[in-house]
Amino acid sequence: MNRNQIAMEYTTLANGLKVVIAPDVSAPVVTVGVYYKIGFRLEPQGRSGFAHLFEHMMFQGSANAPKMQHIKLINSSGGLLNGSTHYDVTNYYEAMPSNALERVLWLEADRMRALKVDDENLRNQRDVVKEEVRVNVMNQPYGGFPWLDLPPVAFRNWANAHNFYGDFADLDAADLADVQAFFKTYYLPNNAVLLVLGDVKADEGVALVEKYFGDIPAGAPPPFADPREPEQKEERRGEVEEKFGTLPAMAIGYTVPERRTTDWCAMALLDQALHGGRAGRTYRELVLEKQIAVEADGGIDDIFGYNGPTQMVTRILHKPEYSAEKTLAAFDAVIREIQEHGISEDELNQLKVKWRSDYYSTLEGGRGGMPRYGLMHLLACFTLFDNQPQLVNSILDGFLAVKREEIQAVAKKYLRPANRAVVFRAPAKANVKEAA
Amino acid sequence: MATRVAQLPAEAPALSPERPVTWPKRTKARLANGLEVILAESHAIPKFHGQLSFRSGNAAVVDRGPGLAEMTATVARTGTKLRVSRQIEEDLRRIGADLSSSAGADTTGIGFAGLSELAEPLLGLVNELAREAAFPEPEFERERRQKLEEVKLDRTQPSFLASERLRKVLFGAHPYATVAPTESQVVAYKRSDLMQVYEEFYTPENALLVMVGDFDTAVMMKSIEKTFGAWTGKKPTIKTAPDPAHPKGRRVYLVHVPGAVQTQILAGCHAITRKHADWIKIGLTNSLYGGAFNSRLVMNIREDKGYTYSPRSGVHALRQYGYFSVSAAVRSDVVAASLTEMFYEMDKLRSLPVPEAELADARNYLSGVFSMSLATQDGLLSQLATVALNDLPDDYLETYREKVRALTPADLLATARKYFDSANMQIVVVGDRAQIEDQAKLFGDLEIYDAQGSKL
Repeated sequence: MNRNQIAMEYTTLANGLKVVIAPDVSAPVVTVGVYYKIGFRLEPQGRSGFAHLFEHMMFQGSANAPKMQHIKLINSSGGLLNGSTHYDVTNYYEAMPSNALERVLWLEADRMRALKVDDENLRNQRDVVKEEVRVNVMNQPYGGFPWLDLPPVAFRNWANAHNFYGDFADLDAADLADVQAFFKTYYLPNNAVLLVLGDVKADEGVALVEKYFGDIPAGAPPPFADPREPEQKEERRGEVEEKFGTLPAMAIGYTVPERRTTDWCAMALLDQALHGGRAGRTYRELVLEKQIAVEADGGIDDIFGYNGPTQMVTRILHKPEYSAEKTLAAFDAVIREIQEHGISEDELNQLKVKWRSDYYSTLEGGRGGMPRYGLMHLLACFTLFDNQPQLVNSILDGFLAVKREEIQAVAKKYLRPANRAVVFRAPAKANVKEAA
Repeated sequence: MATRVAQLPAEAPALSPERPVTWPKRTKARLANGLEVILAESHAIPKFHGQLSFRSGNAAVVDRGPGLAEMTATVARTGTKLRVSRQIEEDLRRIGADLSSSAGADTTGIGFAGLSELAEPLLGLVNELAREAAFPEPEFERERRQKLEEVKLDRTQPSFLASERLRKVLFGAHPYATVAPTESQVVAYKRSDLMQVYEEFYTPENALLVMVGDFDTAVMMKSIEKTFGAWTGKKPTIKTAPDPAHPKGRRVYLVHVPGAVQTQILAGCHAITRKHADWIKIGLTNSLYGGAFNSRLVMNIREDKGYTYSPRSGVHALRQYGYFSVSAAVRSDVVAASLTEMFYEMDKLRSLPVPEAELADARNYLSGVFSMSLATQDGLLSQLATVALNDLPDDYLETYREKVRALTPADLLATARKYFDSANMQIVVVGDRAQIEDQAKLFGDLEIYDAQGSKL
């Protein structure tokens, strides 16, 4: 078995900035990422959506690179850039021909050192973000379903349960003081990891990072609210109206075991057994065999990229002639089957081969035309959460060691009503009439 | 340490000298049965990606049923003479593989990816799907019911409604006018029609196999010959299609979605195909206009005015015809303002030469992004397939950047004047009529439709 090991250099600068260099000189292309350990889970109360709005502000200008300069300098070097906000991290990344490496490091250092934005920039990006929410959520059939619908039903701690894209009132209330305070609190070298992947030599990479980031002052370690959940005692249910779509939908979320435990590894393969495309039990039973559903898939989203309570989510769109209760009963039968009979050795072997194959694709996978996004993401999360980027080379072992009994055991232990939330998203009445 | 003053230059560092790009080596072959094969090695991960394409798609059989090639591709994976549906899906998982089958306007494709150590069984399955699909009756019935729900769902997507209307308007009687079947057309699908399409399209003379990944080319070529060598079949005959519409004058098409909280704008006009000598010119002009983050349109209606999150423009090349389009999902009270800026930026490119510095930035952008697109197995696969399916020259990859870098402000001005046909743009707006009708009609004669496609 070819194990696909990634060579890397990991070091920490005096100001606390963690640095991972993963050289691969096969093409003159380099990917740079800066990950800050703050996501929407821990944004301030009364400021829902702020972590994401703030991410937009990071493209609005810094001390020596005013608005538009970041985008212009990178695009005009033949590169691409973007950023994204996650539960527990926010990332900024660029991929470009390697002759632009210093330029990109200069830019990232400039905005880590001093964000420079004004009220006009904030007003502009607030408008942009509202259109983003409309195009992705409010004006889309099943928009935000279930990633925005499940958390308020499933969780009790505000950190895990609030609207991550942001209530418009909260977005409107955010001001420049909030922006500067958030920057000062969380956007610190000692709360970040910088990654350089691709066409760079390890020692030269470290020297360049030292040159541009070495004198950015560290700050006080940021406060982190406790994201833990009180114990759940019974199943939780909620309803959301679907404004545009024609089919009733539901999402079932089970809270998953703590990351990097044996149970977590078994849960990941159980997820693969239940979801994982057309061979998955949920799709096979609900869509192919019983033909109750039109769509039935899901899983643990971004399994290496979160660091707090999360769920394995099944998303089902079903035919209107089947009631929600009937559909849920059919799903429950799939769960019961695996709890009572477990899975065969043959199925487990299939799951492991597919898991390994998918993992390699994650490592190689790009995003939006940018190579090595997947590898960067894993290295960054393993560094910020575990202080061990090398996990990228060994994390697979835990999944490949899972035994049949462990799959059945986690199915019994975690796939219980008292560990789940169900959200029903039924088409609005008027909509049903119009469709008929 | 923490009190040290920044020692850094206030200016961005200059670019260092460029390292040469090594273009991937390709090996091309044609088997005795006509199957064209292209292989390229890429060893970053112990996997490979492949695509078996047929040079025929939905457009070729639109008179028998819109979407018939897509339905054929869907049902083709649900059973062969040797394996039932469940077996196929489990076997794929057993070898760690992904597989998809679908059809666009001009091509049908089976895409696949898997572990290098298990390449043989995956090739075997692809071969089986291409040659021995059984079209089981119950699977056909199930997929047809499934498709019925999908086409209903499509009509709730603003972006679908916009592109459906634009294609109708631009292409008229030509098959490219149809992007999806209606419910009644799905109901009318017959299993025998699918089998007929399968018989005609899925032949080695009509096929191209491209594979990129961690394999030894010589060994892989032998495997391919062994697996696909005995396959036989002729190229399908191509019927000539009616000419497309060439609408003159700006017209506006409003698709009414009651309760929409935003308006999807999509405007377009006829342009060119990839084979056209101006393809690279229009690519660069588009990248300056609205094809990049740093483009004029994005800077204007997003970064300056905040009308939208997602403005973009693009050139869509189908095999016989291409079209240029610009789109944005905007706040409903700024539909007229957004369209005004879209036309302003288009007309500016048609009237004033692009400053040399801005052009240099755009040239760098396009050539840099092009080399990055080859850095992953599936990225390289898609480039190689595009070159081959469009009959582009073999040195397309190697010469692309030189061609981009040779373009001048005069080239761009001429290109914009030729293809950014602002006087004849067809404008589609999808939103709530009450909020946008008055704004929409300022831009041309207005027709209003509902989401089902009926004129209101």
